[in-house]
Amino acid sequence: MPHATTTVLQAEAVTKNYGARRVLDAVSFSVAAGERVALTGPSGSGKTTLLNCLGGVDRPDSGGITLHDLRIDRLDSDGLARLRRERVGTVFQFFHLLPTLSAAENIELPLQLVGLSAVERAERVDHFLKRVGLVHRAEALPSQLSGGEQQRIAIARALVHRPDLILADEPTGNLDSANGANILALLRELTDETRTALVLVTHSEEAAAICHRRINLRDGRVSHVS
Amino acid sequence: MSVPLTALLLRRITLRHWRTAPKQSALLVLILSLGVAVFVSIRLANHAAVASFSNFTDTLTGQSDWIIQAPAGTLPESVLPELREALGTRPVHIIPIVEATASTPPAPGAENRFGRPTYTLLGVDLLSVVNLARPQDKPFYGQGGDALTGAVPTEGTEGFWDAVKTTPWVWISRDFAPVLPATLDLVIDETVRTLPVAGVIPTAPDAPRAPPHLFIFDLARLQELTGKTGRVDRVEFLVEAGPRIAERRAELQPILEKLGRSGERWIVTAPGARRDAAETMTRAFRLNLTILSLIALLVGLYLIFQALDGAVVRRRPEIAILRSLGVEESTIRRSWLAESAILGLFGGALGLLLGWAGAQISVRAVGQTVNALYYTTTVSSANLTPVEIGIGLGLGLVTALIAGWWPAREAARTPPAQVLQRGAAPAAGHRMMRSFVLGAACVLAGLAFTRLPPLHFAGGSRFPLAGYAAAFLWIFGAGILCAFLLPPLARAGRGLGRRSAAVRVALGHLRKPSGRHRLAAAALLCAIGMTAGMAILVASFEQTMQGWVRRTLQADLYISSSGAQSASSQNRISASAAKALAEHPAVAHAAMLAAYPVEIDRIATLLSGVDLGDPATRPNLPWIAAPAADDPVFSPSHNGSRALVSETFTARFGLGRGDTVRVPTPSGTREVVIAGVFADYGNERGSILIDRQQVSAWFSDETVTNVSLYVKPGVDPDTLRAELARRYPGLSLFTNARLRDEVLRIFRQTFSITYALEVIGVVVAVTGLGLTLVSVLLDRREELTTLRALGFQRREIALASSIEGLAVSLCAAAGGLVLSLALGWLLIHVINKQSFGWTLSYALPRGQLLALALAVSATGWIVSYCVGLWGADLPADREE
Repeated sequence: MPHATTTVLQAEAVTKNYGARRVLDAVSFSVAAGERVALTGPSGSGKTTLLNCLGGVDRPDSGGITLHDLRIDRLDSDGLARLRRERVGTVFQFFHLLPTLSAAENIELPLQLVGLSAVERAERVDHFLKRVGLVHRAEALPSQLSGGEQQRIAIARALVHRPDLILADEPTGNLDSANGANILALLRELTDETRTALVLVTHSEEAAAICHRRINLRDGRVSHVS
Repeated sequence: MSVPLTALLLRRITLRHWRTAPKQSALLVLILSLGVAVFVSIRLANHAAVASFSNFTDTLTGQSDWIIQAPAGTLPESVLPELREALGTRPVHIIPIVEATASTPPAPGAENRFGRPTYTLLGVDLLSVVNLARPQDKPFYGQGGDALTGAVPTEGTEGFWDAVKTTPWVWISRDFAPVLPATLDLVIDETVRTLPVAGVIPTAPDAPRAPPHLFIFDLARLQELTGKTGRVDRVEFLVEAGPRIAERRAELQPILEKLGRSGERWIVTAPGARRDAAETMTRAFRLNLTILSLIALLVGLYLIFQALDGAVVRRRPEIAILRSLGVEESTIRRSWLAESAILGLFGGALGLLLGWAGAQISVRAVGQTVNALYYTTTVSSANLTPVEIGIGLGLGLVTALIAGWWPAREAARTPPAQVLQRGAAPAAGHRMMRSFVLGAACVLAGLAFTRLPPLHFAGGSRFPLAGYAAAFLWIFGAGILCAFLLPPLARAGRGLGRRSAAVRVALGHLRKPSGRHRLAAAALLCAIGMTAGMAILVASFEQTMQGWVRRTLQADLYISSSGAQSASSQNRISASAAKALAEHPAVAHAAMLAAYPVEIDRIATLLSGVDLGDPATRPNLPWIAAPAADDPVFSPSHNGSRALVSETFTARFGLGRGDTVRVPTPSGTREVVIAGVFADYGNERGSILIDRQQVSAWFSDETVTNVSLYVKPGVDPDTLRAELARRYPGLSLFTNARLRDEVLRIFRQTFSITYALEVIGVVVAVTGLGLTLVSVLLDRREELTTLRALGFQRREIALASSIEGLAVSLCAAAGGLVLSLALGWLLIHVINKQSFGWTLSYALPRGQLLALALAVSATGWIVSYCVGLWGADLPADREE
């Protein structure tokens, strides 16, 4: 459990429809700083839609989402972009590294977006490359990296700008079990170290096990919290 | 079995993809249609310009069977009884013709401009035409009512013929004016004449309707008006209908050939020969224009290729699923080719409509050029025929199939169950487009092609096929090489990448350019290179023309008949008027030129008599091969067998200094030796200059084509011009400065259509760049999602896209400018030289080229930014 109970993320009655179909139905929960929360549930239960709303990639039809003191559902497009670049980090199932940038450049990109100096950027990139154990692969292109290596770089990219919240969508879904375990360990270590909140969408029991809490969704509603 | 499956795939998949992205599909069709439209419009305009040159006698007599005409000058009327006697009782009508040209007097204030309509005056023996005893000829004397002025007798024929014999009545086309005028003012030679209108030209049921610029006279009246009394321009023969007509027609030819002493007295031609000659004369010009019209199609081909290739890449998972469901390779290939074909047919159909509309504009520009350089044409509209419709649709179809062939092959080769590896680098494009060696080999092969000679056509025209092949190889090779500029450019911008995430993302893509980048750069380079190459040619031509005009136009006043408004005008100045002009008290010297169209070895050229003896009036010719200073060509008493020829003449006839030319004249064939070769940009048929006194004696003709006056010191040329204009209202008088301006105006007008073609090519290419980036962003939807997730704002995504577009534009502009230097050289020293035989100096319009490069780059940047904004809003989970 986190050492303090500062609420980082607060979702209140978040509702989302796709046409006539209700995908999220009044979902409410909160995440504290340094807390890891697993969003679980069967396919089509609304996990990814909820994650997209939390990250400002999608907008809820009603309800509110607050990141610290900021109502993100009320932000305009540029405001959401600023939120994502400064306060949110994202890890995808399929890594989504920019294929034409090297590993180091992929990690550096969020730092450029927040306008850090070149010296500071170099220091942080170096630090995270060391933390994910890929200093020797800094100049490699994504196509030259294994799946596990790509996901480590993606995690480094998600954490390098010191966000308040990490959103991870099935981060081990495209990896073998050994690599998956390594990635989960890395996520746990790094979020502990940086006291970053993590919302992790997963089907995997192993992944859910690194989290402090588990929120189960069914048909767009919170069916169970443990 | 697989044909219905192909149809199913088209219906269920292809059409649905088109429906989900209608704008993109429409843009593709539009690009293709623009390419087809430009080609069709030029083709229609070319056809119309040639078709308008008809054997006018057809409208009067129906198709004649044979025509005889002198190899130079006119035929004496005395040949008519000789021919009648030689033909004996054969049922053949002999129709003597006099043909001349005239124009209407200039409108007040427009005296100093060329380009008024030229009319063809045809003199025929109306009595003999009426004796053809065909119903359509009766209206010549039976007309009444509103068609007539009331002056020509309409009752009976006797009074009619009396009237025709005493007054120069003119018959005009019904299309000339909505209401027939009572009289017509025409400038014939140096005289303005007011001629009474007798009626409309009757139309034979099997002959074309009389064109609006044709006027018919009785033979004797036109002979009087044009000073050709006792002479005719040609004689036409009409074999009477009846049994064995084909045999009787064939029997006639050897008789006429024999009487004409195999071309020495006259040349025997078939009725279509004049039109063939017109076609031949303009073939090089029309071919050049046609090839230029293919710029847009060539650029379009690149773009359609990349668009279809992009669609294959995006739909590869879907193809893989189909393959895994058991759809054969051949069916996949067929359905993609069918998609291309449908696209091609839509593009072709729309292109036909746009091309037809464009032809109504381009036909005037083509007509003006043909008028200025070759012969009179008054074409003003162009029509679509079934053949043109077939060509337009076929062109769209073939272009789309060529562009779609590779993507269809790629689609078919997609392995079953393959789904693209996420995060894989974008496709680098076809191996061919990435081969530096192939690019360099194309450039070198093009260099070798520049050394090959042109194709020779009948009639002396040439076509630089190897030159065009070289241009194509250079364009293709440069297109491949151009993309090799992108990685160094990306490396050079690395510093900027450190400062901006958007720049870094853009440069990352450019470090290893994708197939899309390569094709977009190649298409843009193609358009810029060809446009800038043409700009260099035009600038070089203009610079050369200006030098030539400065050197050759030295007199103070230039005088010709006001009726001479096109390259084929035959209006002249009478000997008495020329003498009066030369002896005007304000005139120090007068130089005269008497030009005669002649045929040497059945190739048309121009024989000109000039005053070579007098150093004060001798033309100041720009020499290609100068005669020796003491050459007898400049001594009036010794230069009878010496001639100067133009550079185009040497190219057309394959002759040079020291060679002998056999020149046909009415007084027999004369042999002259070429003493020197000069540059002449006034006509492309070539010309021979011989001392005027000699030519005058050979042709028994004292008339001249134009007179140049050098005024005495202190005389104002404008004042003298005004005085002479009052005295000779039928003469066109230009001061030196005005004529120079007019020559350059006509020159620029000649090239006006090429500018339009180039602009269309560049517009298509820039549109294509936008389409390419749309395709690139669609390929990168996942990356866009990632960028958004990382916090990229719309404008940052747009900035990244615009940097990519700008880099592609800059590389294409740089490569295109280098290519244009080579194409400019090729156009000037190979293609132009081989087509027209003109030597031009190389001029570089730096400002124009720079402006083009900047305009294309800036437009490419703006278009890319807009596409980037669109891409930033592209949903991640929906396929566009």
